Amino acid sequence: METKTIISASDDIILNLKVLAREKESVRRKLAVTAAKLAVTAKKLATTAKEKESVRRKLAVTAKEKESVRRKLVVTAAKLAATAEKLAATAKEKESVRRKLVVTAAKLAATAEKLAATAREKEIVRRKLAVTAAKLAVTAEKLAATAEKLAITAAKLAVTAEEKESVRRKLAVTAEEKEEVRQKLVVTAAKLAATAEEKEVVRRKLVLTAAKLAVTAEEKESVRRKLAVTAEEKEEVRRKLVITAEKLKMSYETLENKVLERTKSLEMARAKEESILLSIGDGLLATDEKGNIIFINKTAEKLLGKKGNEVVGKKFFDVIPLEDEKGAFISLEKHPVNIVLATGAKTAALSAAYYKAKDRVRFPMAIMATPVVLNKKTIGAIKVFRDITSEREIDKAKTEFVSLASHQLRTPLSTVNWYAEMLLAGDVGELNKKQKKYLDEVYRSNQRMVELVNALLDVSSLELGTFVIEPKSTDVCELARNVAQEQKPQIDARKIKFRLVCEKHILPMQADPKLLRMVIQNILSNSVKYTPEGGKIKLSIVLANTENILLKISDTGYGIPKKQHSQIFTKLFRADNVRDKDTDGTGLGLYIVKSIVEKSGGKIWFESPEENRGTTFYVTLPIKGMPKKRLNSSSNI
Amino acid sequence: MPKKILIIEDERSLREALVDILRLKNFQTLSAKNGKDGVRIALREHPELILLDLIMPKMDGMAAFKKIREDIWGEKVPIIILTNLNITHEQFVADAITHKSTYYLIKSDWKLHDIVKKIEEIFAE
Repeated sequence: METKTIISASDDIILNLKVLAREKESVRRKLAVTAAKLAVTAKKLATTAKEKESVRRKLAVTAKEKESVRRKLVVTAAKLAATAEKLAATAKEKESVRRKLVVTAAKLAATAEKLAATAREKEIVRRKLAVTAAKLAVTAEKLAATAEKLAITAAKLAVTAEEKESVRRKLAVTAEEKEEVRQKLVVTAAKLAATAEEKEVVRRKLVLTAAKLAVTAEEKESVRRKLAVTAEEKEEVRRKLVITAEKLKMSYETLENKVLERTKSLEMARAKEESILLSIGDGLLATDEKGNIIFINKTAEKLLGKKGNEVVGKKFFDVIPLEDEKGAFISLEKHPVNIVLATGAKTAALSAAYYKAKDRVRFPMAIMATPVVLNKKTIGAIKVFRDITSEREIDKAKTEFVSLASHQLRTPLSTVNWYAEMLLAGDVGELNKKQKKYLDEVYRSNQRMVELVNALLDVSSLELGTFVIEPKSTDVCELARNVAQEQKPQIDARKIKFRLVCEKHILPMQADPKLLRMVIQNILSNSVKYTPEGGKIKLSIVLANTENILLKISDTGYGIPKKQHSQIFTKLFRADNVRDKDTDGTGLGLYIVKSIVEKSGGKIWFESPEENRGTTFYVTLPIKGMPKKRLNSSSNI
Repeated sequence: MPKKILIIEDERSLREALVDILRLKNFQTLSAKNGKDGVRIALREHPELILLDLIMPKMDGMAAFKKIREDIWGEKVPIIILTNLNITHEQFVADAITHKSTYYLIKSDWKLHDIVKKIEEIFAE
């Protein structure tokens, strides 16, 4: 059992050994393969090493070459640098040389110029010298000539002196001879004198005789001359008479012509006046002092529907009956012609009269009468009248324009106003902050537009005269208090101290409260707008005198620039100093105020001593109030 | 019982704004877009107050005003003439407001809420 066991064990061992041997073999083979692979790898590595070495060597070589090249480059660079330096040096030298050359050139140029200048000067001097030389030559010649002449003259003088001497000598001899002769002559003269006296006596006698004869002759001549003069005078008178006659004839003719011309021109003037009177567009009627018609023109005939010969000589009042608006007869006392004839008034007018001609519709007539005055006495009246139907129509059109403009412009503005208002009030839900802000801008701009349109409508209404004035008993102080109350929010916002002072004895006046309100409201709102924060405004109402009340509104505001004082009531004008402080103004307020005040019979003025020292406005209004004014027709659009 | 108000106004946007605000303030509203319809509705429905525009087609506010005032009932009904015409420019308006229980407001100058206040004041009188 044991052996068996051992055998089987050794078999096992052998078997194991065999297995082991096989495994060893296999390992060995694997090792061999691995070794072979390693060898191959080693070879490859060796090869690679060699290659690397070769590459390294090559690299070394290359490095060396590079180094050599670098060194060469350095050298070259150094050389280049040196060359560059040299070049630079050369360039500098060149530059310096160039500069020197430039300087030298400049110097040369200067020298050349100087030389040229000198040459020119020399030339000038040379020329001057030449001229001087020429002049000298001429002078020398002249001198020579003069010298010659002098020599000749000297010679001549010498000769003359000799001659004179000779003459003088001869004269001396002659004088002696003359003396002798003179003495002889004296003797002869004495002899002759005796004979002469005798002759003189005879001559005087002869002269006397001759004189006597001459007197007779003169007398004869004088008579003859007188006769001749008379004849001439006669002739002259005759001539004058002829001339006068001619002149008279001419004058007569001229007069005749002038009379003719005058007559013609008078005739022309008369014809002209008559044709003017006859053909003027207005009806014209003349009466004597009793109101009898003496003339009517064609237009009058046409308007009245009556011929001249039907009415001349009749009383105007009977021929032209007038009615008022409601058809009632207008009495004689109210008739303009009667007014001027009866009272001597310079003119009388009637604008609301109606006349109805035969077969015609009634028409409105405007009448104006003036007296004809001779030597301070009224001797008649002239009545001018016209059909004012078309004027009435124009008035109506004006009124309708304002109505239409009011309506058309304000309707869309009202729409914007109301809807924006409802949105802002949250009537249809709350808005957010931004929405509210935007809508507020829309609302305020629209509000501004409303104000502008209102002001423009008031202006056109005032200008066109389509303004209703309805005076009623009005307490001015109460009204002013109301206006101030309305503006309290603005006054408070600007921290302005406002005072209203009303005199005790002011009774209610006859005024249209709407218009009076506009006046106070405009001036007060200007004061509020143009007074800086913390300023003062005072409105006082006092009796100016027995007939007028005075409104005085003073502030401590910006004032009105002096040079613009004259423009302050002008339509659309705004003073320079407030334009930028308040851009909303229309420039219409004071224009409207002035129109209203003046239409009411009042006055407006202001004081503004200098800028930023405030303004005071004064308004006077008559206590008896504004004149009532109705519009002829209400609109029917 | 809410008060009955008649609005006579031809401009649609304005009419509707008035209707809206008055209903919001608990009034009963009737509306007409011209004077002719306005007079007819007024005389049939007898509203307690009338808002009357002036410039309208078919029959204008002035004629409507006269017609309503001719009626025994209409003689006394409060009428607010709500217009954009100026009293200073229009003889009719100047004449009309002398009539008792006639009022005059300019649309572009009056806020809707103030118109409502005015109506409430008139009813309170």
